[in-house]
Order: sequence, then C-alpha cells, then structure tokens
Amino acid sequence: MKLYYNSLKIAGLSAILLLTNCSKDFLNKPPEDQIVTANFYKTEEQVVASTNILYGLPWFNFNTKAFWAITELSGGNGRSWSGDVVNFSDLTVTGDNQLLYSAWESLYSVVAQSNMLLVNLPKYVDPSISQTVVNNALGEAHFMRGMAYFFLVRLFGAVPIIENNFEHVYDPLLPRHRVEDVYQFIINDFTFAEANCYSKLRTSTYANNAHVSSGSASAMLAKIYLYLKDYPKAREKSELVINSGEFKLYGLEVPGTDFDGLFRTKNNNNEESIVALQWTVDLVKYGVQNAVQASFALNSTITGTGDGWAVLGPTIDLQRAFEPGDIRRKSTIMLPGDFYPEINQAAGGFTVPEDANAQGTRAAIKKYVVGTPADNGGIGAMQKTANNTYLMRMAEVYLVHAESILADQESTSDPAALASFNKIRRRAGLGDKPSITQDDILQERRVEFAIEGDYWFDLGRINRAKAINIMNNQERGTYSNDNPPEIYSAHINMTEDKFLFPIPTSEVAKNPKFMEAPVPYEF
Amino acid sequence: MLCLCSILTHIPAYAQVKNIKGVIHDDKGNALPGATVKVKNLNVAVVTDADGKFTINVPAEGKVLVFSFIGLETSEEPIGQKTHFDIILKTAARNLGDVVVIGYGSQNRQDVNGSVSSVKAKDIENLAQSSIDQMLQGKAAGVMVTQNSGQPGSLTSVRIRGVTSLTMSNEPLYVIDGVQISGDGRNASSSGRSVVSGPQSLSGGGQTALSPLAALNPNDILSIDILKDASATAIFGSRASNGVVIITTKKGKNGTGRLNYDGYYGIQQPSKYLDVMNLRQYATLENELATAYGVEPRQEFADISLLGKGTDWQREIFQDAAMQNHSLSFSGGKDGVNYYLSGGFMDQDGIVIGSYFKRYSVRANVDGQVNRWLKVGTNITASRTKENITVNDLKEGIVSLALQQAPDIAVYNMDGTFAGPEAGKDDGEGNENPVAKALSVKNWVTRNKILGNIYADFTFSKDVSFRSELSGDFNFAGNTIFKPTYKWGRFENKSATLYEGRNNSIFWSVRNYLTYHHVFDKHSITAMVGHEAMESSWEGISAMRQGFYTNDIYAIDAGSVDGASNGGYKGSGSQQSFYGRVLYDFNNRYGLTATMRADGSSKYDQIAKNQWGYFPAFAASWKLYNEPFMQQINKVVNNIRLKAGWGVVGNQDIAGFLYGSSLAAEPTGMGTGFRTARFPNPDLKWESATQTNIGIDFSVLNERLFATVEWYSKISKDFLYQLPLPTYLTGAPDYNGGVAPPYVNLGKMHNQGIDVTLTYKTMPGKDFNWSSTLTFSQYKNNVQELYLKDFDITKTLTSGFLSFPLTRTIEGQSMGLFYGYKADGIFKDAASIHDQPRQFGADFGEANGETWLGDVKYVDVNGDGEVNELDRTFIGSPHPKFTFGFNNTFSYKNIDLNIFLQGSYGNKILNLTKVSAGGLQRLYTNQFADVADFYRADNTDTDIPRARRGDDNPNLFLSDRFMEDGSYLRIQTVNLGYNFNPALLRRLHLTRLKAFASVQNLYTFTKYSGYDPEVGAYNGDALQLGIDNGRYPTPRVITFGLNAEF
Repeated sequence: MKLYYNSLKIAGLSAILLLTNCSKDFLNKPPEDQIVTANFYKTEEQVVASTNILYGLPWFNFNTKAFWAITELSGGNGRSWSGDVVNFSDLTVTGDNQLLYSAWESLYSVVAQSNMLLVNLPKYVDPSISQTVVNNALGEAHFMRGMAYFFLVRLFGAVPIIENNFEHVYDPLLPRHRVEDVYQFIINDFTFAEANCYSKLRTSTYANNAHVSSGSASAMLAKIYLYLKDYPKAREKSELVINSGEFKLYGLEVPGTDFDGLFRTKNNNNEESIVALQWTVDLVKYGVQNAVQASFALNSTITGTGDGWAVLGPTIDLQRAFEPGDIRRKSTIMLPGDFYPEINQAAGGFTVPEDANAQGTRAAIKKYVVGTPADNGGIGAMQKTANNTYLMRMAEVYLVHAESILADQESTSDPAALASFNKIRRRAGLGDKPSITQDDILQERRVEFAIEGDYWFDLGRINRAKAINIMNNQERGTYSNDNPPEIYSAHINMTEDKFLFPIPTSEVAKNPKFMEAPVPYEF
Repeated sequence: MLCLCSILTHIPAYAQVKNIKGVIHDDKGNALPGATVKVKNLNVAVVTDADGKFTINVPAEGKVLVFSFIGLETSEEPIGQKTHFDIILKTAARNLGDVVVIGYGSQNRQDVNGSVSSVKAKDIENLAQSSIDQMLQGKAAGVMVTQNSGQPGSLTSVRIRGVTSLTMSNEPLYVIDGVQISGDGRNASSSGRSVVSGPQSLSGGGQTALSPLAALNPNDILSIDILKDASATAIFGSRASNGVVIITTKKGKNGTGRLNYDGYYGIQQPSKYLDVMNLRQYATLENELATAYGVEPRQEFADISLLGKGTDWQREIFQDAAMQNHSLSFSGGKDGVNYYLSGGFMDQDGIVIGSYFKRYSVRANVDGQVNRWLKVGTNITASRTKENITVNDLKEGIVSLALQQAPDIAVYNMDGTFAGPEAGKDDGEGNENPVAKALSVKNWVTRNKILGNIYADFTFSKDVSFRSELSGDFNFAGNTIFKPTYKWGRFENKSATLYEGRNNSIFWSVRNYLTYHHVFDKHSITAMVGHEAMESSWEGISAMRQGFYTNDIYAIDAGSVDGASNGGYKGSGSQQSFYGRVLYDFNNRYGLTATMRADGSSKYDQIAKNQWGYFPAFAASWKLYNEPFMQQINKVVNNIRLKAGWGVVGNQDIAGFLYGSSLAAEPTGMGTGFRTARFPNPDLKWESATQTNIGIDFSVLNERLFATVEWYSKISKDFLYQLPLPTYLTGAPDYNGGVAPPYVNLGKMHNQGIDVTLTYKTMPGKDFNWSSTLTFSQYKNNVQELYLKDFDITKTLTSGFLSFPLTRTIEGQSMGLFYGYKADGIFKDAASIHDQPRQFGADFGEANGETWLGDVKYVDVNGDGEVNELDRTFIGSPHPKFTFGFNNTFSYKNIDLNIFLQGSYGNKILNLTKVSAGGLQRLYTNQFADVADFYRADNTDTDIPRARRGDDNPNLFLSDRFMEDGSYLRIQTVNLGYNFNPALLRRLHLTRLKAFASVQNLYTFTKYSGYDPEVGAYNGDALQLGIDNGRYPTPRVITFGLNAEF
C-alpha cells in the first residue's frame, strides 16, 4: 500500500505541474518578429517612418520589368525580341501577360498599403503626437495612392476605386469606376497631400529630400490637370512649383552638376527630384532594390554581377530622335565607342564595344545603368542596385508649364512658355526655340524622359489619329550585321483599342463585374 | 518470466513417462526462449530455455504436443514414436490477435471500433526508399501516397481518405513514439518556411518542401498504424483532420541479446527519356521557325547535312546513381530491462547530377520495470541528414532546361570549362547550361534532429495506471547556398555569393493520463482521461555576402563586408488539451468507443473566445461471429464484424496571430519601412471535419480470404483558408509588398469513399506459401459551399513569363479542377475562317497578332460569338477515380518473392513541359521531336499549331491540349529473397541470414507522355495536384542486400 501511496504522490506532483501550465498566458502568442499594429505609432519617429514602405517594396514588381516593358516597348522607344516582353514590342498583348499582372498587382499593393496606413494611423496614433506630424504622414499616403491610380487609369482605363480595403474584404466583387471618377479621385488625393504634407526646400542634404512634400503634390497636380486638358489649373500649379523655388534643375540651377548626374546612385534625392522610389540593396531580401540595370545593361562587364542581359534596346526611331549635340543622348543611349568613366571604374571606365548590339539596335540603354557595386560605394548585387526611380522630376514641371500655356494652340511664343521650355533645351546643350508647337513639346518630352516610362502615356493623351500616325511610322526594326548596316524595317499596326491594356485575365476570372461597363463612383 | 518458472515447478510427477527433447524456432530461424510446450489435454507443460530447447516428460496417455508462443501460430504435433521435435512456429497468419496502437493506449485489432490500417515492419523492409512516408504507398487502403519529386529526401504527399482541407497542408499528423510531428514540409503552421530558406534568386525556387520524416531510419520501425476515420483520430483532436499516422519503433525483447544487420546497395536509373530533337532536327526546326517569324536564318544551319547529333542534354543531366543503406541494431532484455539500440547510415545520389541525400542516425529505446508499480523508459533518436537540392519543377529547373537547351550548345568548352550560348548570338533567348547549373550552384541542407520521449508508467492497482510523458523534437537545420563565379557563354557571374541560413525549432509536450481498466462478468471497460500541453518555437537567422575571391571556401568571412546582409525571424505557438475516452465491450460481442477532446490553441484570438475547440467521437462494433445464431453461417463466412463510427476532428495548421494585425519591417532606401502584413480576422476559429465510417470485416474460404470493406463520408467545413481576394484588394503577395488576405473559415466539402482490403492466404503449407493483398481506395470530392455566391477559388500559375488561371474550385464540383480553354484542332480552311468566332479580340489575318491558319481553334463555350476569357471551362480533374495496391508474397522453401503493383486510374495531368518544350514560341530553344510536324503552308495535314513568336501567344493558352491521361499501373517492387538454412547458420553463429535482390519502379504502364505519371501535389498544395512542370522523375532502383541476425 505504501508503494501506491508513493506513486500517488508523484502523480499529484505531475498534476500540479500540469496545472501551472494551464495559466491563461500559455495560450497567448503574439508575433515575436513583427510589431502588433495597435502598439505602433506611439512616437513621432514611428509616425514619420510609417510612410517609408510606400516608396519601396510595393512598387517593386512595377519597377522591375513592367513599367519599361509596357511603356517603352509599346511606345516605340525600345525594342526587344525577348519572349517575355516581345508582345509589347509588337502590341499583341493579351490579358494573360505576366507583366500586365505585375503592374496591376504592384500598383494595387501601393493602394492597399496606403489605405492601411490611412485607416490604422488615426486609429492607433498616440494622442500626444502633434496633428501636423500625423497629417503629413496621411498626406504622403494620399500622395502615393494617387500616384498608383494615375498609373492604373493610364494603363487600364476604368478600374475599381478603393478607399478602405477592409470594407470590401467580405464583399470583394467591385465594379470598375469611370475614368473621369478615377481622375477626380486622384485629384482629391493630391489635393489632400498638397494641403497636409510639409512644405520643403530641397537642399544639398539629399537624405532630407526623400519624402514627398506639399510642393511634390502641386507638381503632380499640374501634370494631371494637363492630362485633363485643364490648362489654367495646370499652369497655376506648375507656376506655384516653379515660383516656390523648392526644386532646382540639375546641371542648370545647381552648380557643379550636369544632366548625366541625375542618374547616379549617389545623387538620389537631388534638388531636381520631386518624387522618386527609394531603393536599397539587401542581399537576403528580394524586392527592396532597383532591378532594372539587370535588363538594361549591355553586358556583365558593366554590372559586374553576372546580369546585364540587354533585354531592351533603343529603337532606331529613338536613336534618330536625338538632335545632334544633345548631351542627353549619351546619358540615355550607349553607342559603340562611347566612353563612360563612371562605369567599371576599377578598369578605368567603360568603352562601348564596336559590336554592341542590344536587340539588333547597334546600341544599348544607358539611363538607369549605374555600373558595378564598386562604382556605387560597394552597394549592389545581381539584379540589385540602389539608385532611385524617378516618378517625377523638375524638368517635367517646366515642360508642363510650357504646354499649359500652349494649351490648344498650334504654337506659341509666349515668353513664359519659352522660358520654361528653353531651360530644358539649354541644359541639354541645344539652342533655344523661338516658338513652340505641340510637336516640339512631344519631341522634347520624349528625349528628356526616354526610358523613364512616360512617352507611351504622352502618346495616349494627344490626338488619337495623330498618335496612331506617329506610331505606325516609327522605325521599330533592326540593323543587319553588314557594314554599313542595312535596316530590317519593322512597323506596327496601331489601332484605337490598343491604347489601353486588358485587365489581367486572372482578375477578370475572379470578378465577372469587370466585364460590365464602368459605373460612377460615389465620393 | 516469474510466472513461467512457477509453472515449471508445478509439474506433477507421473509414472511411465517418456522423455522428449526438442528445440523451437520462429519462422525467421530465431531460437525461441520462453515458448510453451504442453501435452494436450493434460496438465503437463514446460517452457523452452534461452536456446529454445526443451525437455518434457510425457505421461503414457499423452498423445499430442502443443507448441505455443505469443504472437505466433500454435502448432500441434502427434507424438507417436518420436523423441525429438524440431519445431518452427510461424508468425500468426491472422491479424485478429494484433495489437493496434490507437493513441494514448492500444487495443486488440478485433476490438478496434474505428478505422485503422496497420503496416508492419515486414511490409516495408528492404524497400529502397529514404523515408517511411514513401514506403506506405499502396500498403493501406484509403491512403494515397504520391511522391512529389524524385529528388532524394523530398516531400511525399500522403492523403488519408481524400483531400480534407483547402489549406496548404493535407498531410497527416505523425505521432512517433508519442511525439507529434506535422507532415507539412512547408511548416505552414509554424515558421511558414521550408528549411531551404535562401532567397529564390539564389536557390532558384521550384519545389523546396522537404520531407519531415526523412530524418527517421525506416529500419527502426516496428509498426505503423494509420488512423483513418474520425472516431479513431478524435483523440488527437485539433491536429487530426487529415488522419493520424502512429509510428512505433522497435523494442528489445526479453531473452538473449540480438545483433541485427540490414543493408542494401542499389543503383538508380532514369526510367525514361523523352524524345527531343537532335541537332539536325533542331537546325531544321530553327530554319523553319526563322521563316515563320520572319527573321534571318542562322548561317551555321545553312547546310544541315554537315551537322552531327549535337548534345543530348537529357543524358548529360541524368546519371546512374548509387544508393546504399546500412543499419545495425542491438536488442535484448534482462531482469525487466529491455533495450534496442541502432545506428543507421544511408547515402543516396540523385539521378539528376548534383543531387544527393545522406542520413546518419542513432536510436536508443530503453525501458525498465523499476519496481512493481513503476516502469520508466525512453525512446530517443538523433539523426543528421545532408542533401544537395537541385532546382526543379519550374521552367528554369534542371530537368526543364535539359529539354529546352539547344543541342548545338556544348556541355564543355575545349578548355574544360562549362559552355553556354555566346553573347550577341542568341538574341537573349538562349538558356543556361543545365549541367553547369546543376553542378556549380550548391544548395546544401543539413538537418539535425533529436526526437524522443521519456515516460513513466505508474500502476496503482490491477485496474488503474497513470502515464506521464515528456516529449521533445529539436531541430537544428542549416542551409548553405553558394553561387560561384562562372562564365557559361554569355551567362556570367563575376561575384560569388554565399548564403547561410540557420533554422532552429523546438517542440515539447507534457502529457499525463490516467487509465482504468476493469473486466467484470461479461463487461470490459477501459476509461482514460488526460491532459496535454505543448509548445513549439522557432527562430532563424541568415547571412549573406558576395565578393568572394575563391569558389572553394564557403565561409561567410571570406566574402566582402560591403553590402553584407542578414535577416531573421522567430515565433512560437502553444496548445493545451483535455481528453478522455471510454472503451466498452460486452460479452465480446458489442463494442463501444466514446472520445472527447478539448483543445485550446494560441492560433486563435483569446479575446474573441475562439481558442477552444471540442471534438467528440463515437464508434460501435458488433462481432456477429460470436453470436450463437451465427454458428451455421460461420462455417461459410467467418469472422463477420460490423462497425460504425462518427466523430469530429479539427485542424489548426495555420501560422500564428492570423487573427490580429501586425507590421512587418522591410528595408527601404529611406530606412526601415513598416508594411501592414495582413488583414486581421479576430473571428477565426477551428476548422472541423465530421466523418462517418461504416465497415465490415469478414473472411471466407475457410479463413483464407479476409476482407475489410469500409465506407466513409467526411464533411469538412469552416476551412482555414486564406481568402483568395482579387488582387485589387490585396496587391501582390505580401513578400512583394501587398497586404496578405485574411484567413477565414470558409465553405464545406464532402468526401465520400470506399476502402477495400482483400487478403488471400494459402493454408500454411510445408514448402509453398502464397499470400496476396489488394488494397483499393476510391473517393469522390465535392465542394458543397464556398464563401459567397459566385465565389470561386482560382489558383494562378506563373510559369516562365505567363500568368494564367490553372485550377478553379467552385460549388458543386471537385476541388482544384483544371480550368482553361477547349481546343477544337487548328484552323485549316482559309475560306471558312472568317465565319468563325473571333478569338481574344484579334482579327483573322496574316499580320502579326492576328489569328490565321494553323492557329488553335478554341471552342466558343458560352456561344456568344466570341472566344475570350469567358470561354474558359473545366478541362480535367486531377483526382483519380481509384487507386490501388496489389502485394503478392510467395515463398517456396527458403526462397521468397514479393511482387508489388500499384497504380492510379482516371486522373488527368497538366503537362506544362509541352508548353515550354513544345510551344514553338522561341528560337534557340529545343523542342520535342514530334512538334517538327507543325502547321506551315507546305505542311497542312497536322494538328500541331503553327509557330508564333513570344510566350504570350494564344496558341499556348492553357487548354485541354495540354491535358493528359494520368492513369498508370506500376510494377513498383519485385523482391527476391533467400533465407539460409537455420542449420547452416547455427554453425556460423548466425540465427538468421537472408539475401535479397530487388527492383523498384520496374516498369510503368501508362499513356502519359512525360517522365512519370506519379506527379503529386506541387509543394504539397491540394489545389495544385497533377501539374508536371519538369518534375524530377522517380528513378528505377536495383538493389542487393542482406538481413542478418546474430
């Protein structure tokens, strides 16, 4: 009996052990490597940092391949045979296209993350934090959401407007909203940002320039009003930005700089930058970096990291678009014999070889090509660089300004328009124009912003017949291997319906409402 | 032992005795100590000594001797004039007396009311497989085992009675000597990452889930009990909805120590090569494609007759690979202490060059009777596995690349370095050298595991006992990925990169339960109550550097500090449970089981009070054969037993804190950013599955044919499912900056099926014995409810540069059906083409992007006069109509032969290699030989569409053109063994020696055109069944081995 008694004692001890485990906390396991949202936004630093994400990761899939494949290939600035992007080159894109999907999901990532911040920040912010700080953060979120919608509406036309993702989780089949409503939504967002973001003056302390400002929002509004052909407002906003002196034209208004310097990693967030995506290099994480150099660079001598696939080549048409003496050409396109001292510095610079031939163009892309990790302060890896992607820079405000004055006229020699327009030409090393036409503006915009993803959208907003005519006459062919080379000419057959892309099939499959006509949005 | 001795002392003395001597062995030639020898109808008995020898004095009236031993068939021999008996007792032919482990206890097979299949060590011995899950294939009805990849050590999917859950894992819970291990190689419910943890840019992606069971040495396993229905699994409550596999390892037996050696050596071979073009065919094709695409033909292909056969890439990446396995064990027992110690070594090279798997394992199982009321013991295994993972199951994988790589590219340059397409010579369309890729990029995974338990059994009285058990599973894994500097043609890497990841996970549980067992009159009752608490925690860190000056040193410090990066993660989860069970039997006729379990889990919100789930189950059985009125029937049909069960089990295989909202830190150019990780859902609760099981056991033909037929119906509901929201609400996957959709409880699904097991045995004969077991499993899967009306779950596949819906799940259909277009041949008639529905908005015409002769003619399914997205429809089911296993064992004297067939019928496979290597969409890419017959102006009598450039081309849209019949019948194993004579062995001081030769995966009868119709689930995902995207094929293995016992 004693034995049993002993064993009962042991069992009793185990039972006590067991009951101590029953404490309530045993089943409470909050995340250990993430911050519970309700516990954040408690200091000013936390609120300021809360918007950082909107400048990076969510944009990654758009930036990496989609933006240049969709805009530069379709627009005729670039060409490619590569099976993954060729369908943009000849405008035979279907809704199954992976890059359209990348763009769609990435832009809606930006919308989702912005909305999360817009909902969570007011809900959880510590009351001791000043309203100005909170409003600035909310302004940035509105700004980035507007930015994403501006791309969406230009790529796909009518798309669903989402202000609070939580509200639709259990009723997800949204209709598409009318294009005009999407634009109104965008204007509202930027107007909020203009009213709530800090006013800034861009200085040579570049790190302080990274977040957008009230002036950034004004600049974007100028561009959007231009798209809506609201010329007085476009002029008003562009003049507001020009007169504020917040941003300066690199190479013209900033001593010791030049146009080419805009595209160096070390000049991220320079005085000309209005809004830019902020990349970094993390070897472990994929998606926080700029990956375009991998596709653009002619070879891996330039990148030093095994990539450099020359998937994009500048079309013969783009090569011809540069006037002689335009310094922007060498910063945009590499031609055989060009020398770039800043690339592959370890080997004394990079000379473009005579047989350079990206996609049959006998040239290669230079813009956004920044060289080896060593050329960039040791930062970089395969498909990874840390140079910013411009979403807008000051040069565009000047061109928007000039165009807003030109408005619907054939041409103008208005001094204010000429002053803005010729600033851009002067910086490019070109002579002033005495008067400017629609074609001049389009041409100037094309060469200034080539490979920055804008020309396709310009073609989409000008007179349709004219745009079709321009596109059908673009030389999208290749050079032969002969010397001198012959041109294997290639042209596309542009039609009215190709200016917008189909919404990705996988989305349409999930939401049959996308097959219906767009509906008005209730603001 | 004590009681046996007491029998000895009680032998009464008789006059006129006859002295008889003898020895008893089991059918493996082991001497049997402690066997009973009895004179029939007389109270005279002895037991054998340590050498199995006995001496018995038989009274004159004794006519027959009865030899018996627990677990072996009793044998009767007439005495006659004999004075010496050499007896072999055979293993009990009937399973009726088997003990089945049912979780927190065990039961005799004939008393189990739930549905339990058992696999014994003998059924899986000498199989050349690295992990035990693979060995279950075809061995148990209702258990569908498919190997997802032929890569050594890779994840196998095990589906017990169909697909229960829509969540990622449908793998059963494994309980190894009491330690619970999830079968999910993706660790979805803990860290959410596979051990292959490196960035995809380095590791290459593909299937990365590894088998969590690969660490166990199959030779250590005594038995596997598979709990299939809810009444059996409910005792495991929340983790049991996919079924439970209980693995029991070997124990020592009382008697002399035994030393066992089991080993084999084998050669693995690719079982099939696909017919891709050789250089001449390829050059011809390239010339024709150039014409079709309107580009300059390549000069080097101007004269085909000058060309040779070129590189045969398949034969370059596949190899005959060796595998060997050796296991040594010591076991025995003395004075109440039993021990089993073993050491194992396995070394398997993969048939794809570069891949391999090695395992070193040790095990110690010891238990001892401390005193009359206390027994303690431990089962511990420690193992280390090391493997090299090659990239597969995607377009850029080694196998896919071998199909696509052009035959005009050499493997090596003249100087011995790897070759590749030259810069400027392939328009950026060429492919990487798969041999170089397989051999250069290292992706090593080492896993160290310590798994085991210690327990104490207290016996309070004859009826009451208490067990206290502490279990643990400690895993320390490392992943090293090294990408060297290389130059393979234009593919050049100037900076070597090293990734080091360390992942640790720790699981422990404390379990206490009290068991009461009592028999009074005709009633037998066993009741059990208990408590259990478990916690798992995980953490990992990673480091990465580049700029290595050498490709030979894989140490992080050898890299450049510039840009060095690191990362980490950690987390934990916990669960506690109360449970109880009553087993009741009346008069050995009526059995009843009632189970209840309550589980509280940290996965659910404490505040919303959803943490606790309750899982009841009942089962009953009726042994008809024990009823008096059955006596007549028993002569024809014996052992009829009916059983029925009902129960509810749960599932919680999701990550932690899905009910709440959190922010994940991400680097940005302006400092750390904070990404909203997901949509929270505080209402998240348990997923449950309710299952009804009805079964009958019987035997006919004088107990030679045994049958078990079971019908089940399983309704799973409230799936823990990540709501597949449209992308406009979530953005990209969370790692790309989107907000992960919420997990919700969604839908209802019905699985209904029949499991049949038929076993036929000849009566034990002197020389020849034969037994066959047929297992047949059939299930039907029907999704009854989804989230909302018109709601569907669409799985999108991104393959290469296309993204399209792949499978779709809607109400009223099976889950995960293939979804795409229906093709109706190709356009061949220019006159009528303009009358056809327009396809995808393109005009009919010869211009680029237009639809023209030779293009696939898709069916306008909805009849709206246009072919577009709305015409996608269901084009095939990956679910088999039935699966089966047929195991045949023959023995003649010392020779035994085992033939095992296995197969699947009626499932479809989506063969995506036909898109990448048969799509005619690119130059510089090799293709299957049969597509040479593609449509062109001078070749119109064909069904193969014309060549169109670019991946995004309507001819390659997912359609029934890529669906294939996945039925197969495989000769899985042929094993021939020879047992050496016991007499001979005794001279060699061996008790048993068997030599065997076997062939695994000998031949597969199938219509499937790819490597292997056994495709499995992509990374274990139930909605991505049957997708062949360049799967690592399962090899044919020829092995030779020995089993020896000293």
